[in-house]
Amino acid sequence: MSVTLSFEVNGEPARLSVEPHARLVDVLRGPLGLVGTKEGCSNGECGACTVLVDGRPVCSCLLPALEVEGKQVTTIEGLVGPGGKLSEVQQAFVDKGGIQCGFCSPGMILSAHALLEQNPSPSDADVRDALTGNLCRCTGYAQIVESVQLAASTKRQKKGADHA
Amino acid sequence: MPFDYHRPKTLEEAWRLADSDAEARFVAGGTDVMVRIREGKIAPRALIALSGISDLTRIDVGPPLVLGAGVRVAELQSHAGLGRALPVLGQAAAQLGSVQIRNVATLGGNLCNASPCADLAPPLLVHEARLRVASAMGTREVPLASFFVGPRASVLGPGEILSAVVVDAPAPNARAVFLKKGRVRMDIALASVAVLLETEGKHCVKARIAAGSLGPCPMRLAKTEAVLTGQALDDRGLALAREAAEQEVRPITDVRASADYRRHLAGALLERGIRALMNGAQP
Amino acid sequence: MRELRYVGTDTVRPDAADKAAGRAYYIHDLSRPGMLWGKVKFAEHASARIKHIDTSRAERLPGVRAVITAYDTPELRIGFLRDNFALKRDRVRQFRDEVAAVAAIDPDIAAEAVELIRVEYEPLPAVFTPEEALAEGAPLVHERDADGRPVTSNLLPVQVHHESGDMAAGERASKYVVEGEFSTPLIQQACMGTAGCIAEMDTRGNLTMWAKTQIPFLAQKDFVRALEAMGLGGSNARVIVPALGGAFGTGLDTHAYEYIAILLAHRTGRPVKIVYDRREEFANLSPRQSARTRVVQGCDASGRLTFRKVEVLQDNGAYTSWGATYPTVMLIPATSLYKVPNVWFDAKLVYTNNTYAQAMRGYGNPEVTWPIECLLDELAEKVGIDPLEMRLINKNTPGEKTPMGLDITTCGLGECLEFAKQSLDWEAKHGKQRGKARGVGVASLVHVGGSGRIYRSDGGGVILKLDDFGNVNVSYGGVEMGQGLHAALTLGVAEALGVLPEKVCINQTDTATCPWDVGTHASRGAFIALNAAIRAADKARKKIFALASEIYASETQKSLAAHKKKNPGYEPPAYDFAAAARADNLELRDGQLFPKDAPNEPWLHIEIGKLLRALHFRGREGQMIVEEAFYEPPSTLPDWSKGVGNMSASYAYGVQAFEVEVDTETGDVKILKAVSAHDVGRVLNQQTLRGQVQGGLAQGIGYALYEEVKTHEGRVLNPSFTDYKIPTVHEMAFPVDIFFAETDDPAGPFGAKGVGEPGLVPTAPALANAIYDAVGIRIRDLPITPEKIVMALKAKKKG
Repeated sequence: MSVTLSFEVNGEPARLSVEPHARLVDVLRGPLGLVGTKEGCSNGECGACTVLVDGRPVCSCLLPALEVEGKQVTTIEGLVGPGGKLSEVQQAFVDKGGIQCGFCSPGMILSAHALLEQNPSPSDADVRDALTGNLCRCTGYAQIVESVQLAASTKRQKKGADHA
Repeated sequence: MPFDYHRPKTLEEAWRLADSDAEARFVAGGTDVMVRIREGKIAPRALIALSGISDLTRIDVGPPLVLGAGVRVAELQSHAGLGRALPVLGQAAAQLGSVQIRNVATLGGNLCNASPCADLAPPLLVHEARLRVASAMGTREVPLASFFVGPRASVLGPGEILSAVVVDAPAPNARAVFLKKGRVRMDIALASVAVLLETEGKHCVKARIAAGSLGPCPMRLAKTEAVLTGQALDDRGLALAREAAEQEVRPITDVRASADYRRHLAGALLERGIRALMNGAQP
Repeated sequence: MRELRYVGTDTVRPDAADKAAGRAYYIHDLSRPGMLWGKVKFAEHASARIKHIDTSRAERLPGVRAVITAYDTPELRIGFLRDNFALKRDRVRQFRDEVAAVAAIDPDIAAEAVELIRVEYEPLPAVFTPEEALAEGAPLVHERDADGRPVTSNLLPVQVHHESGDMAAGERASKYVVEGEFSTPLIQQACMGTAGCIAEMDTRGNLTMWAKTQIPFLAQKDFVRALEAMGLGGSNARVIVPALGGAFGTGLDTHAYEYIAILLAHRTGRPVKIVYDRREEFANLSPRQSARTRVVQGCDASGRLTFRKVEVLQDNGAYTSWGATYPTVMLIPATSLYKVPNVWFDAKLVYTNNTYAQAMRGYGNPEVTWPIECLLDELAEKVGIDPLEMRLINKNTPGEKTPMGLDITTCGLGECLEFAKQSLDWEAKHGKQRGKARGVGVASLVHVGGSGRIYRSDGGGVILKLDDFGNVNVSYGGVEMGQGLHAALTLGVAEALGVLPEKVCINQTDTATCPWDVGTHASRGAFIALNAAIRAADKARKKIFALASEIYASETQKSLAAHKKKNPGYEPPAYDFAAAARADNLELRDGQLFPKDAPNEPWLHIEIGKLLRALHFRGREGQMIVEEAFYEPPSTLPDWSKGVGNMSASYAYGVQAFEVEVDTETGDVKILKAVSAHDVGRVLNQQTLRGQVQGGLAQGIGYALYEEVKTHEGRVLNPSFTDYKIPTVHEMAFPVDIFFAETDDPAGPFGAKGVGEPGLVPTAPALANAIYDAVGIRIRDLPITPEKIVMALKAKKKG
């Protein structure tokens, strides 16, 4: 028996009928057509399904959809700006070779985005702590960490320029 | 398998829902329950989510420290007052899972899941935490040391909810540390040890040791504590403590590690923890 | 080495932006109108007779559209020995046997229906090790072969053998000899995107498969054969490859679930999608082949290798896939890693009721480099020589022909060893840090660099199509699986043709539109694709120049006239157009056509799109620029029973070295620094090549220290990331010094060699050798876990 779920996704209100046992990843990938969020393990262990709920990274494969009632959810699609402009974090991953097969990338990028919102000058250890729950099998992580540091520096420069 | 999902706003509502459906199950963050449902280990007809009950998310640094069972593990790591009052809990929280898990998992969930590997149990055990267990009939207090009765089994009865964890202020000279050994950084503990010491110089006046993944429940190591109490914390003292710990733990061999290695780790982590505290390591 | 404009640069991948935006679509994201969801029911015993399958309750579940078993579908034999079946009949031989399947309107109903299928089994005796399987009176895993002939042993009739030189003489010439038995476990490829496909039949019985495959054309062949067996002889199959969430070898065979999807699609008349969840992927997809090896190596008094003997025993599992062909690649390090005059190699494969294995990156090379390189250190210790010096003494050199018959055209092994030595400050550190439980270790590798011929054709074709806007669409039949093939091919086409990389677009891999290719394996993607592209580009340029010479003068003069009309004061310089506009005087660079003898005059440039439009609208025939080339590398299909044949066009050597610190209390190995040095021929794309090396290193470290598929009596015990641990970002938190030796191989496109696999080949022995330097213990069975180190240290203390 369906239940109504109202929340905000990528800045837009969403109001849907969902099964009570639906997970957030099912609602995002299914009725909302936001397939950028991937399901890698269904166990909260790989992080491919990472989305932000009220700015905090969570595994959408473990979160009951009804838990986001009234909350703000951000998926990878939500980081793309008008005209398809990639966010600083997305662009940094592109520029630094932080993406190979790309399956882990949406989750990885969102975890990095959340880190930089909270900590604009992360150390290498801070970056690694933030990405512990995002597994990658292709890159060996080196270019991923470089991407995050590039994004951090780009964002800091932009902020500096804005204030100048 | 389909299930109903309720999000009560108050404890009273939660108890009413539990009372009306014997096959309903309480859930907090869901990081354990959702996995077990998916693996077919449990098949509840309904979940009663405790995440919407604000009463369960308060932190009162006191003393005594009162932590709502619904406090997210991430907050245990970041809360400034908690960091001053009970730093070892934040240390354990930081080693639990990943950012994504910590944003959703709760203090109460970690304890009520009652896994022998529960990361938050050893630090609370060495601080002799007390649990407030609430039901429609009222609230009772259970020492954490009596809470676990076996793997995934606690003294919680039907309709009972863990509402808060209470920790009395530790002695001013007490210091504690938590060590966990996994295979890779995000892992279930192969072995974990929490050490709380009150020392006078190099002499141990009081010791509380708790172990995780080293027996059917997170447990205090009373015999090891007895060996350490009054002991000089020199190489010989540490060796005695280490041997006591290795004898006292009851590890099993499973897909993750052998009992022998776990037993060895118990001693190694204990020694490492004691040395860290003696060197003034801050958790 | 000549200067290049695009090849060798640090250019972003063309597919990265879409992937960053969440706009790359993997099999998991695709759907077709009317699509059903398929799910497989797997066996519940490792060895049993199927007495009865009751599908009635599943069929009655609302939303179920088909339930199939081997009893109501045509028999589809699969695997290169044809000893496997899409659906199992009469017997199950391993836990992951597919006994039934369901198609339903949504995945939850499909899963529920699978649970409702009741299978009655009569358990049969089973064997779980090669020893058990070869023992007297052991039950046979297969009683008959694919041709119905009775089988009398669990030993596979697949032989890979090699003998060269004179082993007895080699042994006599040896002053020192070492030997040992080693093992490597089952490893999961652990792609982040799991396996899956969509099968769709059209009204005339033709099949389209969206597949997670690395072999679209060999898969097409397999599927056509399946369609014939289904009574659809004459039908065609089309294989389309979407974005792949990694592959690492999992796509080199066709799988039972793919045939099951086809059967369900045929039965229901609707497209059927099957996708494995992570648990199914761990428990039911073929992992990397395990191996037990016994290696003996000898050397003379000065440390020169005199002989090498390699014996391999493989648990083949219940059916045969590419794990059984690892010995063909094992021959490469066995015969050609270092100069060894006398080599003996033999491999035995045995059926058991365990899971069977398929390809994974490295394909046997890591399994044999492991014992060879560990023992080389032991040999060096006996001789009293530094292990890195020992490798320099025995290093391979260009111009060598190895015992396997490999032509080592170029070889950067020496440079790589020297780099490792410098980078780790080897001489200051080796043998000097045991007090701190620190050590350094090194190991080398040799792998195919110019593809690896394992099929009658090792070729691949490329079609280049230029359009009226100067865009170049490239069709190549190999696959992008994250390794950066499209990035390399984009730069290669831009370079070879003379256009901007932004104007190059690599088409989706589709057997209907792309030329044939044997498959993306053996690190061959860029090597083959670029070689073909260079040849096609050459044809395209010739045609462009020939056609352009006809209209260059008139087109340029038209432009000048138009320009003068707008700028009346403008006086075009004098120029002899007739002389300039000869085909052999024209050049195409960055999409601009111009005369070679006046390259810097902008008014003499014509943009290629403008030229092509002019040619198109001339109203005469033959004005398209669509050119193709099929490239077959200069290599030989070896005689596997002799283990001889130059199977590749070039060979990629390399070295990895580590400095480690061992925590003697917990057994943890902390990597302080890593070096990965590779003979790459030529760097095609800096970013993606570094990515391949870094990624390979992480997989090598997983293989060495953390990963193992654990089984008990055929059942996988750790089918999840909970207990199958791959490195996280923390396990890779150390500096990595990467070096590329650019040896400029004559067979390589722009001199390049394939480097997809080498990154994980020598990792385990390099780490093991470093651990020995640190704490004096050797582990011979991977993975080298902290537990094994602690136990070995305790044993050493006692003994």
